[in-house]
Amino acid sequence: MRIASGGVTDVGRVRTNNEDCFKIVEPLNLFVLSDGMGGEAHGEIASAMAVETVVKHCLDMEANPAAQVIGPTQPNWSARTKRLSTAVHLANRKIFKSAEENPDQHGMGATLTAVWIEGAKLSIAHVGDSRAYLLRGGSLLQLTRDHSLVAEQVRRGILTAAEAEESDMQSVLLRALGAQAEIEVDAEEHTLFPRDALLLCSDGLTRVVTEPEIAGTLQAETNPGKAAEKLAALANERGGPDNITVVIARIEKDSNGWFSWLRRGARKNPGSNGSVGGN
Amino acid sequence: MPKLSLMFDNKIVKEVSVGTRPVTIGRSPDNDLPVDNLAVSNHHAKVYYEAGRMVVEDLASLNGTFVNDLRVERATLHDGDNIHIGKHRIKVDASGDAPVPWDSGRKAAAPRIDETMVLDTKERRQMLQQAAAMGESMQFAGTRMKVPTLVILNGQTDQKEYVLTNKLTVIGKSAMATVKLKGWFKPQMAAQINQRDDGFYLGPGDKVPSVNGTPISGPLRLNNGDLIEVSGVRLNFLFRE
Repeated sequence: MRIASGGVTDVGRVRTNNEDCFKIVEPLNLFVLSDGMGGEAHGEIASAMAVETVVKHCLDMEANPAAQVIGPTQPNWSARTKRLSTAVHLANRKIFKSAEENPDQHGMGATLTAVWIEGAKLSIAHVGDSRAYLLRGGSLLQLTRDHSLVAEQVRRGILTAAEAEESDMQSVLLRALGAQAEIEVDAEEHTLFPRDALLLCSDGLTRVVTEPEIAGTLQAETNPGKAAEKLAALANERGGPDNITVVIARIEKDSNGWFSWLRRGARKNPGSNGSVGGN
Repeated sequence: MPKLSLMFDNKIVKEVSVGTRPVTIGRSPDNDLPVDNLAVSNHHAKVYYEAGRMVVEDLASLNGTFVNDLRVERATLHDGDNIHIGKHRIKVDASGDAPVPWDSGRKAAAPRIDETMVLDTKERRQMLQQAAAMGESMQFAGTRMKVPTLVILNGQTDQKEYVLTNKLTVIGKSAMATVKLKGWFKPQMAAQINQRDDGFYLGPGDKVPSVNGTPISGPLRLNNGDLIEVSGVRLNFLFRE
């Protein structure tokens, strides 16, 4: 399967710095997004560290396939899913250690949502309240669970979804990279189909843009980079209260299909690589 | 500060103050005021301040919330009132100053709340304990829970029955589909069934499936016994023992 991808990150309309960070590693079909938190510039440091560490560990898979697997795994997981999950554990350790060694970085942390595609296999690893969505057959499905207090309260029936949207506790996370020496990472595998679209985003998008709007934009604009830009622009129209990052990957049919040449125009990758907050 | 006292045999078992955030009452240990009794629902009721008045709200509990022996869904509380939940009595002390209302006070009370934050170690430990308790209760529920199953009634498929073990299920001709349709002119992906937090949802693929004879207009939550029709195949969605 062919993958077309694009992404955008935007500071928004309220904040002066962008603590979000993302990276698309095209040769690997690896997509990583992180939203940092912490005073001064430390959110930027944390998210950049998170993305960099995950990308590096995944890139290193070929050269060093036998690297130790960290954290619990499922017996049926592919080597990639184990690698990706391990990479998130490593990123957590790195941010935690850095915050421990530099007292001024105390309290810094980051979310991390990463997808890695190999053939029809999708590996996901996730911590925090950034999200991964799958658009399939016009239906949008959130693949990740928000590790936030309000999301947890909704799952337990303490709050309704509407109450959660109104809550001023939305920014309280239950899990984030860098908050503890060891953390739990959500990891999963799924099978992808032609015409599926994956979207990763920071909460700067989902706080102000609804899921039907996300689905509608993905269906109306098939160019991933342009669709990401449209969604970020929509979030800004709504006040852009936080940094906005959107990464989109579209699964296309193999190029050996007899009509594949028709699709070639959609395979360009505008804004395929973006990284904010130091390297 | 106003407070609630959980009484049993006229003795105070536990006291909690009612501050700016709601006090939750129920059997589950993650409540602010846990009441360990089978007649009490996991999340039974909550007490909070609204416009300067203390309010109790029943959270659709099985056995109900009573204020001074009157069953209520929602009621204003006064000093000296008694809330009855199961066999337990909760004494209301509304004599202290009402807390700063949640709405107007939130910015002053939590100045950095719009900055993303992670709960500190102690809070996190509590949350993790709750999460662990929840995990156990879910496993417990799992042993009683029924298995979501698709049974093929008509049409050609690679199996007669499918247990929905994955979050994402595809019905179609594709080699990667869970429910593989056989025969000419079948779509690669006819329809999909996805697990969300609150159940299994049937959604369209290349075809619009029908449930109990009616074409769906968007993702539809499936109920036990629903009859699904798509691409000349009829399936029964069941929660099996």
